[in-house]
Amino acid sequence: MREDAATRSPWILHFDTGSCNGCDLEVWALLTPRYDVERFGMVNKANPKHADILLITGPVTKKSEQRLINLYNQTPDPKLVIACGDCASNGVPFLDCYNVCMGVDKVIPVDLYVPGCSCRPEAIMDAVVKGIGMWKKKVEEADR
Amino acid sequence: MTDAITGLAMLIAVPLLIGLLLGIDRRLTARMQNRVGPPLLQPFYDLWKLFGKERRAVNQAQVSFAAASVLLQFTAFAVFATGGDLLVAFFVSGAGNLALALGAFSSRSAYGQLGGQRELLQVLAYEPVLFLVIFILGWQNGSFLSDAFGENLLYLLPLALIAMVPVVLITMQKSPFDIATAHQEIVSGVYVEYSGTYLGLLKLGHWFELAFVFGIITLFFSADDIVISLLGKSLIVLVFVFLAVLIDNSTARTTRGDMVFKTLAFGLGLTIINLVLLWIDVSGAIW
Repeated sequence: MREDAATRSPWILHFDTGSCNGCDLEVWALLTPRYDVERFGMVNKANPKHADILLITGPVTKKSEQRLINLYNQTPDPKLVIACGDCASNGVPFLDCYNVCMGVDKVIPVDLYVPGCSCRPEAIMDAVVKGIGMWKKKVEEADR
Repeated sequence: MTDAITGLAMLIAVPLLIGLLLGIDRRLTARMQNRVGPPLLQPFYDLWKLFGKERRAVNQAQVSFAAASVLLQFTAFAVFATGGDLLVAFFVSGAGNLALALGAFSSRSAYGQLGGQRELLQVLAYEPVLFLVIFILGWQNGSFLSDAFGENLLYLLPLALIAMVPVVLITMQKSPFDIATAHQEIVSGVYVEYSGTYLGLLKLGHWFELAFVFGIITLFFSADDIVISLLGKSLIVLVFVFLAVLIDNSTARTTRGDMVFKTLAFGLGLTIINLVLLWIDVSGAIW
Protein backbone atom coordinates (compact mmCIF):
# COMPACT_ATOMS: atom_id res chain seq x y z
CA MET A 1 0.00 0.00 0.00
CA ARG A 2 2.86 2.34 0.87
CA GLU A 3 4.43 1.87 -2.55
CA ASP A 4 1.09 2.56 -4.24
CA ALA A 5 0.59 5.82 -2.36
CA ALA A 6 4.21 6.88 -2.79
CA THR A 7 4.23 6.40 -6.55
CA ARG A 8 1.12 8.53 -6.97
CA SER A 9 3.12 11.63 -6.20
CA PRO A 10 6.18 11.89 -8.47
CA TRP A 11 7.65 15.39 -8.31
CA ILE A 12 9.70 16.56 -11.25
CA LEU A 13 12.97 18.37 -11.68
CA HIS A 14 13.65 19.52 -15.22
CA PHE A 15 17.26 20.40 -16.08
CA ASP A 16 18.55 21.72 -19.40
CA THR A 17 22.16 20.62 -19.99
CA GLY A 18 22.64 22.65 -23.17
CA SER A 19 19.59 21.65 -25.16
CA CYS A 20 18.32 23.72 -28.11
CA ASN A 21 15.09 24.26 -26.05
CA GLY A 22 13.09 22.02 -28.38
CA CYS A 23 12.76 19.22 -25.82
CA ASP A 24 12.36 21.76 -23.00
CA LEU A 25 9.29 23.19 -24.69
CA GLU A 26 7.85 19.68 -24.93
CA VAL A 27 8.55 19.06 -21.23
CA TRP A 28 6.73 22.29 -20.37
CA ALA A 29 3.87 21.24 -22.65
CA LEU A 30 3.19 18.41 -20.17
CA LEU A 31 1.92 20.96 -17.66
CA THR A 32 -0.61 22.53 -20.03
CA PRO A 33 -4.35 21.70 -19.89
CA ARG A 34 -4.01 19.46 -22.96
CA TYR A 35 -1.63 16.96 -21.33
CA ASP A 36 -2.07 17.92 -17.64
CA VAL A 37 0.36 15.56 -15.88
CA GLU A 38 -0.94 16.72 -12.51
CA ARG A 39 -3.55 13.98 -13.10
CA PHE A 40 -0.78 11.58 -12.03
CA GLY A 41 0.16 13.80 -9.09
CA MET A 42 3.18 15.17 -10.94
CA VAL A 43 4.26 18.68 -10.03
CA ASN A 44 7.21 20.62 -11.39
CA LYS A 45 9.24 21.48 -8.29
CA ALA A 46 12.36 23.10 -9.86
CA ASN A 47 14.29 22.00 -6.76
CA PRO A 48 16.45 18.83 -6.62
CA LYS A 49 15.82 18.43 -2.88
CA HIS A 50 12.06 18.07 -3.46
CA ALA A 51 12.28 16.06 -6.69
CA ASP A 52 11.73 12.35 -7.38
CA ILE A 53 12.03 12.20 -11.17
CA LEU A 54 14.74 14.07 -13.07
CA LEU A 55 13.79 14.98 -16.64
CA ILE A 56 17.12 15.85 -18.29
CA THR A 57 17.38 17.40 -21.76
CA GLY A 58 20.44 18.27 -23.85
CA PRO A 59 23.76 16.54 -24.67
CA VAL A 60 25.45 17.59 -21.36
CA THR A 61 28.03 20.24 -22.20
CA LYS A 62 31.32 20.11 -20.30
CA LYS A 63 30.28 23.21 -18.37
CA SER A 64 27.03 21.65 -17.14
CA GLU A 65 28.59 18.25 -16.29
CA GLN A 66 29.44 19.07 -12.67
CA ARG A 67 26.10 20.84 -12.18
CA LEU A 68 24.24 17.75 -13.36
CA ILE A 69 26.23 15.59 -10.93
CA ASN A 70 25.44 18.03 -8.10
CA LEU A 71 21.73 17.98 -8.89
CA TYR A 72 21.72 14.18 -9.04
CA ASN A 73 23.49 13.95 -5.67
CA GLN A 74 21.15 16.46 -4.06
CA THR A 75 18.04 14.46 -5.01
CA PRO A 76 17.08 12.14 -2.14
CA ASP A 77 16.58 8.41 -2.85
CA PRO A 78 14.56 6.69 -4.29
CA LYS A 79 14.89 8.68 -7.51
CA LEU A 80 14.57 8.14 -11.26
CA VAL A 81 16.41 9.73 -14.18
CA ILE A 82 14.78 10.12 -17.61
CA ALA A 83 16.86 11.32 -20.55
CA CYS A 84 14.52 13.29 -22.84
CA GLY A 85 15.36 13.51 -26.54
CA ASP A 86 18.13 12.28 -28.84
CA CYS A 87 20.79 14.62 -27.43
CA ALA A 88 20.21 13.47 -23.87
CA SER A 89 20.00 9.79 -24.90
CA ASN A 90 23.25 9.55 -26.88
CA GLY A 91 24.26 13.05 -27.93
CA VAL A 92 24.13 12.08 -31.58
CA PRO A 93 23.26 15.45 -33.14
CA PHE A 94 26.54 16.63 -31.57
CA LEU A 95 28.64 13.68 -32.78
CA ASP A 96 32.40 14.40 -32.46
CA CYS A 97 31.86 17.80 -30.86
CA TYR A 98 34.70 18.84 -28.53
CA ASN A 99 32.45 20.46 -25.90
CA VAL A 100 29.85 17.84 -24.98
CA CYS A 101 29.82 14.61 -22.94
CA MET A 102 27.58 12.84 -25.51
CA GLY A 103 24.55 11.93 -23.42
CA VAL A 104 23.33 11.98 -19.84
CA ASP A 105 24.33 8.35 -19.17
CA LYS A 106 28.02 9.23 -19.54
CA VAL A 107 27.67 11.36 -16.38
CA ILE A 108 24.91 9.90 -14.16
CA PRO A 109 22.96 6.60 -14.27
CA VAL A 110 19.89 6.85 -16.52
CA ASP A 111 16.76 4.69 -16.10
CA LEU A 112 14.80 5.56 -19.23
CA TYR A 113 15.54 7.07 -22.62
CA VAL A 114 12.97 9.02 -24.67
CA PRO A 115 13.78 9.13 -28.41
CA GLY A 116 12.89 11.96 -30.77
CA CYS A 117 14.26 15.29 -31.94
CA SER A 118 12.47 16.84 -30.27
CA CYS A 119 10.73 14.17 -28.20
CA ARG A 120 6.94 14.36 -28.33
CA PRO A 121 5.07 15.13 -25.07
CA GLU A 122 3.17 11.84 -25.54
CA ALA A 123 6.49 9.99 -25.57
CA ILE A 124 7.64 11.73 -22.38
CA MET A 125 4.34 10.86 -20.69
CA ASP A 126 4.76 7.25 -21.82
CA ALA A 127 8.25 7.22 -20.31
CA VAL A 128 7.04 8.74 -17.05
CA VAL A 129 4.22 6.20 -16.72
CA LYS A 130 6.72 3.38 -17.36
CA GLY A 131 9.07 5.13 -14.96
CA ILE A 132 6.48 5.10 -12.20
CA GLY A 133 6.51 1.27 -12.43
CA MET A 134 10.31 1.24 -12.12
CA TRP A 135 10.17 3.75 -9.31
CA LYS A 136 7.72 1.52 -7.43
CA LYS A 137 10.32 -1.27 -7.54
CA LYS A 138 12.93 1.14 -6.17
CA VAL A 139 10.62 2.15 -3.30
CA GLU A 140 10.06 -1.54 -2.48
CA GLU A 141 13.82 -2.18 -2.52
CA ALA A 142 14.42 0.84 -0.28
CA ASP A 143 11.89 -0.58 2.21
CA ARG A 144 13.72 -3.87 2.49
CA MET B 1 -15.30 12.59 29.87
CA THR B 2 -17.34 13.19 26.73
CA ASP B 3 -15.43 16.46 26.28
CA ALA B 4 -12.16 14.54 26.31
CA ILE B 5 -13.48 12.11 23.70
CA THR B 6 -14.77 14.96 21.48
CA GLY B 7 -11.41 16.71 21.80
CA LEU B 8 -9.53 13.54 20.90
CA ALA B 9 -11.83 12.90 17.93
CA MET B 10 -11.24 16.46 16.73
CA LEU B 11 -7.46 16.07 17.12
CA ILE B 12 -7.55 13.15 14.70
CA ALA B 13 -10.39 14.11 12.37
CA VAL B 14 -9.65 17.78 11.71
CA PRO B 15 -6.12 17.35 10.22
CA LEU B 16 -7.57 14.63 7.95
CA LEU B 17 -10.32 17.05 6.89
CA ILE B 18 -7.68 19.73 6.22
CA GLY B 19 -5.86 17.25 3.93
CA LEU B 20 -9.14 16.66 2.10
CA LEU B 21 -9.73 20.42 1.90
CA LEU B 22 -6.29 20.89 0.29
CA GLY B 23 -7.25 18.15 -2.19
CA ILE B 24 -10.45 20.03 -3.02
CA ASP B 25 -8.35 23.20 -3.35
CA ARG B 26 -5.99 21.59 -5.89
CA ARG B 27 -8.83 20.09 -7.89
CA LEU B 28 -10.74 23.36 -7.91
CA THR B 29 -7.60 25.18 -9.06
CA ALA B 30 -7.17 22.66 -11.88
CA ARG B 31 -10.81 23.01 -12.96
CA MET B 32 -10.46 26.81 -13.04
CA GLN B 33 -7.46 26.36 -15.34
CA ASN B 34 -9.43 23.96 -17.59
CA ARG B 35 -7.43 20.94 -16.40
CA VAL B 36 -8.59 17.66 -14.85
CA GLY B 37 -6.37 17.93 -11.79
CA PRO B 38 -5.00 15.40 -9.30
CA PRO B 39 -7.05 12.89 -7.26
CA LEU B 40 -8.86 14.25 -4.21
CA LEU B 41 -6.47 12.41 -1.87
CA GLN B 42 -3.34 13.86 -3.52
CA PRO B 43 -2.11 15.78 -0.40
CA PHE B 44 -2.11 12.49 1.54
CA TYR B 45 -0.14 10.73 -1.22
CA ASP B 46 2.38 13.59 -1.22
CA LEU B 47 2.83 13.44 2.55
CA TRP B 48 3.04 9.64 2.53
CA LYS B 49 5.73 9.72 -0.16
CA LEU B 50 7.76 12.43 1.62
CA PHE B 51 7.85 10.39 4.83
CA GLY B 52 9.19 7.41 2.87
CA LYS B 53 12.05 9.32 1.26
CA GLU B 54 15.66 9.35 2.34
CA ARG B 55 16.37 11.35 5.51
CA ARG B 56 18.84 14.03 4.60
CA ALA B 57 19.42 17.43 6.17
CA VAL B 58 21.79 20.31 5.52
CA ASN B 59 22.56 20.67 9.24
CA GLN B 60 21.32 19.56 12.65
CA ALA B 61 19.72 22.91 13.51
CA GLN B 62 17.43 22.59 10.49
CA VAL B 63 16.02 19.31 11.81
CA SER B 64 15.41 20.79 15.27
CA PHE B 65 13.59 23.78 13.82
CA ALA B 66 11.42 21.55 11.61
CA ALA B 67 10.50 19.44 14.65
CA ALA B 68 9.87 22.59 16.72
CA SER B 69 7.65 24.03 14.01
CA VAL B 70 5.45 20.96 13.69
CA LEU B 71 5.24 20.44 17.48
CA LEU B 72 4.30 24.08 18.13
CA GLN B 73 1.67 24.11 15.38
CA PHE B 74 0.28 20.85 16.71
CA THR B 75 0.19 22.26 20.25
CA ALA B 76 -1.61 25.39 19.03
CA PHE B 77 -4.21 23.28 17.27
CA ALA B 78 -4.50 20.89 20.24
CA VAL B 79 -5.12 23.81 22.63
CA PHE B 80 -7.87 25.01 20.29
CA ALA B 81 -9.42 21.56 19.72
CA THR B 82 -9.56 20.64 23.41
CA GLY B 83 -11.40 23.84 24.31
CA GLY B 84 -8.41 25.86 25.48
CA ASP B 85 -7.64 29.55 25.37
CA LEU B 86 -7.63 31.08 21.87
CA LEU B 87 -4.91 33.58 22.79
CA VAL B 88 -2.57 30.81 23.97
CA ALA B 89 -3.18 28.90 20.73
CA PHE B 90 -2.54 32.10 18.74
CA PHE B 91 0.82 32.81 20.35
CA VAL B 92 1.98 29.18 20.17
CA SER B 93 1.08 29.09 16.46
CA GLY B 94 3.06 32.33 15.99
CA ALA B 95 6.06 30.66 17.67
CA GLY B 96 5.66 27.81 15.18
CA ASN B 97 5.94 30.28 12.31
CA LEU B 98 9.05 31.75 13.92
CA ALA B 99 10.60 28.25 14.09
CA LEU B 100 9.86 27.83 10.38
CA ALA B 101 11.66 31.11 9.60
CA LEU B 102 14.61 30.17 11.85
CA GLY B 103 14.86 26.83 10.05
CA ALA B 104 15.12 28.72 6.76
CA PHE B 105 17.78 31.03 8.26
CA SER B 106 19.85 28.08 9.51
CA SER B 107 21.08 27.24 6.02
CA ARG B 108 23.34 29.49 3.96
CA SER B 109 21.15 29.30 0.86
CA ALA B 110 20.24 32.75 -0.45
CA TYR B 111 16.75 31.52 -1.30
CA GLY B 112 16.32 30.14 2.21
CA GLN B 113 17.41 33.46 3.74
CA LEU B 114 15.01 35.41 1.52
CA GLY B 115 12.22 32.95 2.29
CA GLY B 116 12.83 33.29 6.04
CA GLN B 117 12.72 37.09 5.91
CA ARG B 118 9.56 37.00 3.83
CA GLU B 119 7.99 34.51 6.26
CA LEU B 120 8.62 37.01 9.08
CA LEU B 121 7.04 39.75 6.97
CA GLN B 122 3.97 37.55 6.43
CA VAL B 123 3.73 37.06 10.17
CA LEU B 124 3.96 40.84 10.57
CA ALA B 125 1.15 41.24 8.04
CA TYR B 126 -1.46 38.74 9.21
CA GLU B 127 -0.87 38.26 12.95
CA PRO B 128 -2.16 41.72 14.05
CA VAL B 129 -5.34 41.10 12.03
CA LEU B 130 -5.80 37.58 13.41
CA PHE B 131 -5.10 38.86 16.92
CA LEU B 132 -7.71 41.60 16.65
CA VAL B 133 -10.25 39.16 15.20
CA ILE B 134 -9.65 36.76 18.10
CA PHE B 135 -9.87 39.71 20.51
CA ILE B 136 -13.21 40.89 19.11
CA LEU B 137 -14.54 37.30 19.10
CA GLY B 138 -13.55 36.81 22.72
CA TRP B 139 -14.82 40.23 23.76
CA GLN B 140 -18.21 39.60 22.17
CA ASN B 141 -18.42 36.07 23.52
CA GLY B 142 -17.28 36.96 27.02
CA SER B 143 -14.62 34.26 27.08
CA PHE B 144 -11.54 33.28 25.10
CA LEU B 145 -12.04 29.57 25.75
CA SER B 146 -12.83 27.87 22.46
CA ASP B 147 -15.43 25.52 24.00
CA ALA B 148 -17.33 28.49 25.46
CA PHE B 149 -18.48 29.58 21.99
CA GLY B 150 -22.13 28.56 21.65
CA GLU B 151 -23.66 31.73 20.29
CA ASN B 152 -24.10 32.81 16.68
CA LEU B 153 -21.76 35.78 16.18
CA LEU B 154 -22.04 36.02 12.41
CA TYR B 155 -24.63 38.83 12.38
CA LEU B 156 -22.68 40.80 15.00
CA LEU B 157 -19.23 40.46 13.43
CA PRO B 158 -19.67 40.22 9.63
CA LEU B 159 -16.83 42.65 8.89
CA ALA B 160 -14.41 40.78 11.16
CA LEU B 161 -15.16 37.60 9.19
CA ILE B 162 -14.41 39.38 5.89
CA ALA B 163 -11.16 40.64 7.45
CA MET B 164 -10.10 36.97 7.70
CA VAL B 165 -9.88 36.66 3.88
CA PRO B 166 -6.28 38.00 3.56
CA VAL B 167 -5.30 35.98 6.65
CA VAL B 168 -6.54 32.79 4.99
CA LEU B 169 -4.80 33.77 1.73
CA ILE B 170 -1.47 34.16 3.54
CA THR B 171 -1.76 30.99 5.62
CA MET B 172 -2.88 28.94 2.60
CA GLN B 173 0.14 30.32 0.68
CA LYS B 174 -2.05 31.66 -2.09
CA SER B 175 -1.45 34.39 -4.65
CA PRO B 176 -1.22 37.44 -4.33
CA PHE B 177 0.27 36.83 -0.86
CA ASP B 178 2.37 33.67 -1.42
CA ILE B 179 5.59 35.63 -1.16
CA ALA B 180 7.48 33.42 1.36
CA THR B 181 6.96 30.28 -0.72
CA ALA B 182 7.11 32.01 -4.12
CA HIS B 183 7.82 29.09 -6.43
CA GLN B 184 8.94 30.98 -9.54
CA GLU B 185 10.98 33.63 -7.71
CA ILE B 186 12.77 31.95 -4.82
CA VAL B 187 12.02 28.23 -5.46
CA SER B 188 9.59 27.72 -2.56
CA GLY B 189 11.59 29.95 -0.18
CA VAL B 190 11.39 28.65 3.38
CA TYR B 191 11.13 25.03 2.20
CA VAL B 192 14.01 25.19 -0.28
CA GLU B 193 16.70 23.48 1.82
CA TYR B 194 14.41 20.80 3.26
CA SER B 195 13.98 17.42 1.66
CA GLY B 196 12.24 14.09 2.20
CA THR B 197 10.95 13.36 5.69
CA TYR B 198 11.75 16.81 7.10
CA LEU B 199 9.87 18.51 4.28
CA GLY B 200 6.97 16.19 5.13
CA LEU B 201 7.15 17.33 8.76
CA LEU B 202 6.89 20.99 7.70
CA LYS B 203 3.94 20.19 5.43
CA LEU B 204 2.22 18.47 8.35
CA GLY B 205 2.92 21.54 10.50
CA HIS B 206 1.27 23.65 7.81
CA TRP B 207 -1.82 21.41 8.00
CA PHE B 208 -2.05 22.03 11.76
CA GLU B 209 -1.63 25.77 11.24
CA LEU B 210 -4.47 25.74 8.72
CA ALA B 211 -6.57 23.67 11.12
CA PHE B 212 -6.15 26.41 13.75
CA VAL B 213 -6.92 29.30 11.36
CA PHE B 214 -9.98 27.56 9.89
CA GLY B 215 -10.97 26.70 13.44
CA ILE B 216 -11.11 30.44 14.26
CA ILE B 217 -13.38 30.97 11.24
CA THR B 218 -15.79 28.26 12.37
CA LEU B 219 -16.27 30.07 15.72
CA PHE B 220 -18.27 32.80 13.94
CA PHE B 221 -21.25 30.53 13.37
CA SER B 222 -23.11 28.42 15.86
CA ALA B 223 -26.64 27.08 16.20
CA ASP B 224 -28.58 25.17 18.83
CA ASP B 225 -29.05 22.18 16.55
CA ILE B 226 -25.69 20.39 16.25
CA VAL B 227 -26.35 19.36 12.63
CA ILE B 228 -27.17 22.90 11.46
CA SER B 229 -24.21 24.18 13.47
CA LEU B 230 -21.78 21.77 11.77
CA LEU B 231 -23.29 22.42 8.33
CA GLY B 232 -22.99 26.18 8.77
CA LYS B 233 -19.39 25.92 9.98
CA SER B 234 -18.45 23.68 7.02
CA LEU B 235 -20.19 26.04 4.60
CA ILE B 236 -18.19 29.03 5.88
CA VAL B 237 -14.92 27.07 5.50
CA LEU B 238 -15.82 25.91 1.98
CA VAL B 239 -16.76 29.46 0.94
CA PHE B 240 -13.39 30.67 2.23
CA VAL B 241 -11.51 27.95 0.32
CA PHE B 242 -13.45 28.79 -2.86
CA LEU B 243 -12.67 32.50 -2.43
CA ALA B 244 -8.98 31.72 -1.83
CA VAL B 245 -8.77 29.61 -4.99
CA LEU B 246 -10.64 32.23 -7.01
CA ILE B 247 -8.35 35.04 -5.83
CA ASP B 248 -5.29 32.81 -6.31
CA ASN B 249 -6.20 32.17 -9.94
CA SER B 250 -7.14 35.74 -10.82
CA THR B 251 -4.31 37.77 -9.29
CA ALA B 252 -0.54 38.00 -9.70
CA ARG B 253 1.88 37.90 -6.76
CA THR B 254 2.30 41.28 -5.13
CA THR B 255 5.41 42.80 -3.53
CA ARG B 256 6.15 42.25 0.17
CA GLY B 257 5.59 45.87 1.20
CA ASP B 258 2.32 45.93 -0.67
CA MET B 259 1.24 42.73 1.09
CA VAL B 260 1.95 44.15 4.57
CA PHE B 261 0.17 47.43 3.77
CA LYS B 262 -2.89 45.89 2.11
CA THR B 263 -3.41 43.15 4.69
CA LEU B 264 -3.05 45.52 7.63
CA ALA B 265 -5.16 48.30 6.09
CA PHE B 266 -7.94 45.95 4.92
CA GLY B 267 -7.93 43.57 7.89
CA LEU B 268 -7.39 46.02 10.75
CA GLY B 269 -9.65 48.60 9.06
CA LEU B 270 -12.64 46.27 8.76
CA THR B 271 -12.20 44.80 12.23
CA ILE B 272 -11.92 48.24 13.85
CA ILE B 273 -15.02 49.49 11.98
CA ASN B 274 -16.85 46.41 13.25
CA LEU B 275 -15.62 47.12 16.78
CA VAL B 276 -16.68 50.78 16.62
CA LEU B 277 -20.14 49.87 15.28
CA LEU B 278 -20.57 47.44 18.18
CA TRP B 279 -19.53 50.12 20.67
CA ILE B 280 -21.93 52.71 19.24
CA ASP B 281 -24.71 50.18 19.13
CA VAL B 282 -24.50 48.58 22.57
CA SER B 283 -28.29 48.78 22.91
CA GLY B 284 -28.79 46.76 19.71
CA ALA B 285 -30.67 49.40 17.68
CA ILE B 286 -28.94 48.70 14.33
CA TRP B 287 -28.44 44.94 14.57
